[in-house]
Amino acid sequence: MSQATLRIQKMSGHAGSVPGEDTQRGLTVCKLIDTTTCIGCKACEVACMEWNDLPFGETVFDNTYQTMPETRWNYWNLILFNEHVREDDGSLMWLMRKNQCMHCAEPGCLAACPADGAIVQYTNGIVDFQQANCIGCGYCITGCPFDIPKMNPKTNRVFKCTLCSDRVTEGLEPACIKSCPTGCLHFGTKEDMLYLGGTRAKQLQEHSNYPKAGVYDPQGVGGTGVIYVLHDASQPELYGGLPANPHVPWTVKLWKGPLKWLGNVAMVGGLIGLFVHYLRFGPKDRDEADTNAGGAKS
Amino acid sequence: MSHQEQRLPHGRILRYELHERLTHWAAAFSYIYLLLTGLAFYSPWCFWLAIALGGGQISRMLHPWAGLIFFCAVIKMYTMWAAQMRTTEADKAWWNAVGHYMRNEDDQMPPAGRYNAGQKLLFWGFFWCSLLLLLTGAILWFPEYIPWSLRFLRYVAVLIHPSAALLTIGLFLIHIYMSVFAERGAFGSVIRGDVSEEFAKRYHPGWYKEIAGDSSAPRK
Amino acid sequence: MTNGWVDMKNTDMMLIMGGNPAENHPCGFKWPVEAKRTRNAKIISVDPRFTRTSAVADLFCQIRAGTDIAFLGGVIRYAIENNRIAKDYLVNYTNAAFIVKNGFKLPEDGLFSGFDAKTQLYDKSTWNYTGGDASGKAAPEAHVAAPAANGAPPPPATLPEKVSYDFTLQNPDCVFQLLKKHYSRYTPEMVERITGIPKEQFLKAADLFTSIRKDGDMKKVATIIYAVGWTQHTFGTQIIRTAAMLQLLLGNVGRAGGGVNALRGHSNIQGATDMAGIFDNLPGYLKVPTPADTSFEGWMKRITPTPSKPAPWDSFNYWGNTPKFATSYLKALYGDAATKQNGWAFDYLPKVDRNYSWGQLWDDMYNGNVKGMLAFGMNGVAIGPDSKKNIDALKKADWLVVGEIYPDETSEFWRSPGITQDEMKQIQTTVYRLPCAGFAEKDGSFTNSARWLIWKNTALPTPGDCRLDQAIVAQIFLKVRELYKKDGGKFPDAILNLTWNYSVPSNPPLAEVLKEVNGKALADLEDPTTKQQIKAGQQLPGFAWLKDDGTTSCGNWIYSGSFTEAGNQTARRDPSDPSNMGVHPGWGWSWPANRRVLYNRASCDVDGKPWDASRKQVWWNEGSQKWVGNDVPDFKVDSKPKDHMGPFIMNPEGVGRVFAPLGAFAEGPFPEHYEPIESPIENPLHPEQSHNPVVKRFKTPDDKYATPKDGYAVVCTTYRLTELYHYWTKNNPMNVQLVPEPFIEISAEMAQEMGITGGEKIKVSSIRGTYIAKAMVTKRIKAMQIDGKKVYQIGIPIHQGYRGIKEDEDKDARTLVNLLTPTVFDPNAYTPEFKGFLVKVEKA
Repeated sequence: MSQATLRIQKMSGHAGSVPGEDTQRGLTVCKLIDTTTCIGCKACEVACMEWNDLPFGETVFDNTYQTMPETRWNYWNLILFNEHVREDDGSLMWLMRKNQCMHCAEPGCLAACPADGAIVQYTNGIVDFQQANCIGCGYCITGCPFDIPKMNPKTNRVFKCTLCSDRVTEGLEPACIKSCPTGCLHFGTKEDMLYLGGTRAKQLQEHSNYPKAGVYDPQGVGGTGVIYVLHDASQPELYGGLPANPHVPWTVKLWKGPLKWLGNVAMVGGLIGLFVHYLRFGPKDRDEADTNAGGAKS
Repeated sequence: MSHQEQRLPHGRILRYELHERLTHWAAAFSYIYLLLTGLAFYSPWCFWLAIALGGGQISRMLHPWAGLIFFCAVIKMYTMWAAQMRTTEADKAWWNAVGHYMRNEDDQMPPAGRYNAGQKLLFWGFFWCSLLLLLTGAILWFPEYIPWSLRFLRYVAVLIHPSAALLTIGLFLIHIYMSVFAERGAFGSVIRGDVSEEFAKRYHPGWYKEIAGDSSAPRK
Repeated sequence: MTNGWVDMKNTDMMLIMGGNPAENHPCGFKWPVEAKRTRNAKIISVDPRFTRTSAVADLFCQIRAGTDIAFLGGVIRYAIENNRIAKDYLVNYTNAAFIVKNGFKLPEDGLFSGFDAKTQLYDKSTWNYTGGDASGKAAPEAHVAAPAANGAPPPPATLPEKVSYDFTLQNPDCVFQLLKKHYSRYTPEMVERITGIPKEQFLKAADLFTSIRKDGDMKKVATIIYAVGWTQHTFGTQIIRTAAMLQLLLGNVGRAGGGVNALRGHSNIQGATDMAGIFDNLPGYLKVPTPADTSFEGWMKRITPTPSKPAPWDSFNYWGNTPKFATSYLKALYGDAATKQNGWAFDYLPKVDRNYSWGQLWDDMYNGNVKGMLAFGMNGVAIGPDSKKNIDALKKADWLVVGEIYPDETSEFWRSPGITQDEMKQIQTTVYRLPCAGFAEKDGSFTNSARWLIWKNTALPTPGDCRLDQAIVAQIFLKVRELYKKDGGKFPDAILNLTWNYSVPSNPPLAEVLKEVNGKALADLEDPTTKQQIKAGQQLPGFAWLKDDGTTSCGNWIYSGSFTEAGNQTARRDPSDPSNMGVHPGWGWSWPANRRVLYNRASCDVDGKPWDASRKQVWWNEGSQKWVGNDVPDFKVDSKPKDHMGPFIMNPEGVGRVFAPLGAFAEGPFPEHYEPIESPIENPLHPEQSHNPVVKRFKTPDDKYATPKDGYAVVCTTYRLTELYHYWTKNNPMNVQLVPEPFIEISAEMAQEMGITGGEKIKVSSIRGTYIAKAMVTKRIKAMQIDGKKVYQIGIPIHQGYRGIKEDEDKDARTLVNLLTPTVFDPNAYTPEFKGFLVKVEKA
């Protein structure tokens, strides 16, 4: 991966400044997924497997068109199929949502990761795992509100969608975008995608029977690098459990924030305290020690 | 072992038998490893520790195993010492007078038994924290097998595990300070197993009385 | 397709029925989605299941498989009742005003006039127009010759040259009034009884679809999109006709974003059809000669139509050029051996004496009349119908040659599940399996659903001993020719004189074949009007140059223009689209004449002005006195609007056929709803004539047909999945990962009633065979009320078999879905009835 074009603005488990920090113009890339025009053809799944050259895995029939229950370490892009009966007119909806890493602006995985540089965020917003630095602790799994990072149990390293950072570096769109036959997937700057998604949502509100159509760009994680147009933005959970208000778990925040500093202060403070105590009071057996140097000698 | 047998030649008193000492060091070494690798995972400022100990992957791989060893040692300690660690009336008095203890005014302390109240706190603190560390550690060991619906377990674990560890670190620091710097002779007691009569009399007068009380004479 | 994939972006309304393009044509489905996004177009999805297409549709109706004519007939009735028809279009561009012959009878009892119950055939002579003038008075039928004195059957009836008409459409015998009367029986209530679509839901769909003609406004356009969900019925052709009639009624044919659009199931099925992949056609849809055609002239007389129209109108009657196409075709086949004296070697052509369709072929093998088979590019045992019959037939064959890229079910028919070791030893068929080339290992052209020929290049060399299909066929031919040369034979001329001028005779380069198909001048030619000249030996620019005097050769007239002196037109890759109408004139090449929308003259009113000025395709240019446009005009370019030449130039009438006269179809001029051969109810329209009266059933012990009385009461349909392609992607781990196991889709209601949970194995049996797979319990299929009866529908994807990655792991004894399907065929197109047959469902 070319460091020249992919500058790192955030880095997990890193002490000190980050090489690409404060060097960006502020334009980030974004994937727009219009679930209202997704036909669940799985071209994106295949393109992802092919471009990233991932090994095949076993699957079993599970009463659904969905390829497998959830993404895997070697299957980063999965369309979730959900049957839903509309409350208002009783009509059936077959909701299809392409699920993959959301590339959060404030990534929970990165926040939770203790390994130096195992998870990075480039200045273009892509959140990428650097498996060479991964220690296999799985904290990213806990930090992610979307259940995305998956561990290869053989190598104890975690994998997920890279937003085809290798392709994006070269000025190409991600493989899934390239493969989408209906044009339900778009790729561009976050600003443009928000505009495009917003326009489409408005069209759905005005011309189709979806008054609650909207764009999913959750602010709980600072907004995402993957945004959705949903038929009903008030019920994202219908789309295979897309969280309505995702955020990095508060325990992770507490742990990585206040607790860490409290702990640091306590530990350093404790050490200093003990040292000062020793200077002030010394050992308990000072008298004997003076006379009987070496203390308890056999 | 009878009190008689605890009286060693040259006025020394056996404080820790071999298996106690082995258990202590099993716990100590595993804990130090856990502490170093744990600190590496805890703070980027300490991540170099993991590198120094063979790399992040190795540290992450061995940390849970060391944790198991540590926990086994703690359990062994429990079976050995739990009975002696019960809180007594004297302990309350000890706590009330802990200021004297901190100021090295040991003569003003109510007499302690084999273990003073502070040591009991260390013991129980480590015991309960170890239990918490084990439970949360198991979750953190295999986070990928915790189903999404039970993810709160992971959320709880990531908070409890370091919190409990921090508590043990506090105890550990005091423990090291007391045994190596403050009470000279204590360190030797977990190496060789015995302490001097002076040591016993000074720090554990109740215990010394117990041993000295029902023995005729020290062996020469 | 009358239109094309890209053209769908121009539409305002889509009725997608008998097809699931989102599933089976995801790349083409880009354009319906584009229309939704850019034009707020609506999709109505009518299907036995809620499909991937339904998922993005604006309205979904669950229809009982095989009742599409009832639905469409109901929409026709709705459009007429609510005056949502294109009146001007209907009068001027269709035969709605034509007066139908006396004696023609509508099928109130299920039968049109002229049915002979014994032969199960119609005498179609009353299915004709009245000859005459506007008065409606019949002209003397001079065109029907008196029976010949020698007792030979009279020559077939033909269309009158001048047709009687009533442009007010009031005459009770005019086509429009008959149409109205015919479909007056297709009330919303009747539609509900037959199709199972609740009346309100049907009315919603009918209202939405016809809303484009609200108040007679002609600006908006609707398209109808279908696939094998329509063709695979014993009345499949008639379903498509109903759609065509509806589109004519609404004035949607010939217009951008309109038409009747068949989605082809393979990348090159359109090409196969164009090149006569069926026994009763020659390339370019020329009708095959029969034993009754004793000379070239006789054959031409029979198959060349003459204009038949109201006197004030004009008709181009393009099929009047048939002799030019046929002569050039024979010149391409036999070269110098085809002379005017020998009727262009007409005698070399095989004369087709009877039905040689797919089902008949297997029946013939089953009965011992066909001894061997060359099977290329298909898996005959798997694609059925009634795989057991095909397997049993192959057991009786002497030999079988299979050209494939994987070991398939056909080449291993002898080890299909259920055949014991002892039985295997009894099978004496010699099987030769030839390793062929995969699609990426061949070049050549694909003709897509939109009639676009797209050239592709070879991406990979063939591995090992694999050979190209054309090399195998060529080498067989050369060997046969050598044997004829050496040993003679009963009639060696047709073989010895066949043109074979390829640079590599044993492996003809496909570009050379395409050049031959395009055709060339055999003598110097000159266009009398433009004075353009073509030298002998040069490639022809198009079929307008074809001659019936032996000075041109052309392998397929509709492909003429695909490989000209300017090079291989199908290899063009210019994506530009100056009109932004999805024409892309420089991308590949489409037949005919690189025209993207057929009958595009109909996109203008009678004066030659586009119905919708924002979607201009072609128009009459007063200045140049010519038809010009963004597309190639599908018309005589200098025919003035006031001459009133009909836009449907391939019909002798020059107009679209709301009424299909004479022999156009086997079962009648207007489509009538008939029940599938296996149906859960008797036809509510006429229980005494439930099925298509001209459908033939086969008679071998393997040909069995069930009724609900036999215990088979569940309607079953088969279909395909996006994730798999026919029977060979089960050899690809990627596809297998996507869909690892076969499944059967059943409704949640049925599952609950039977105590079946999702993932549980169930057994589906028809009277012919059984199929076991896991149940997919879904809300996407619902129980239906059919004529007062509760009817369940189930669906099975076709893709599994007994050879493939999972099959070879022996994890699962997998059988072919087509063990279930009946051997019964559409009498026009000979397509099997895969959609809508009866089964029963049990726990396995």
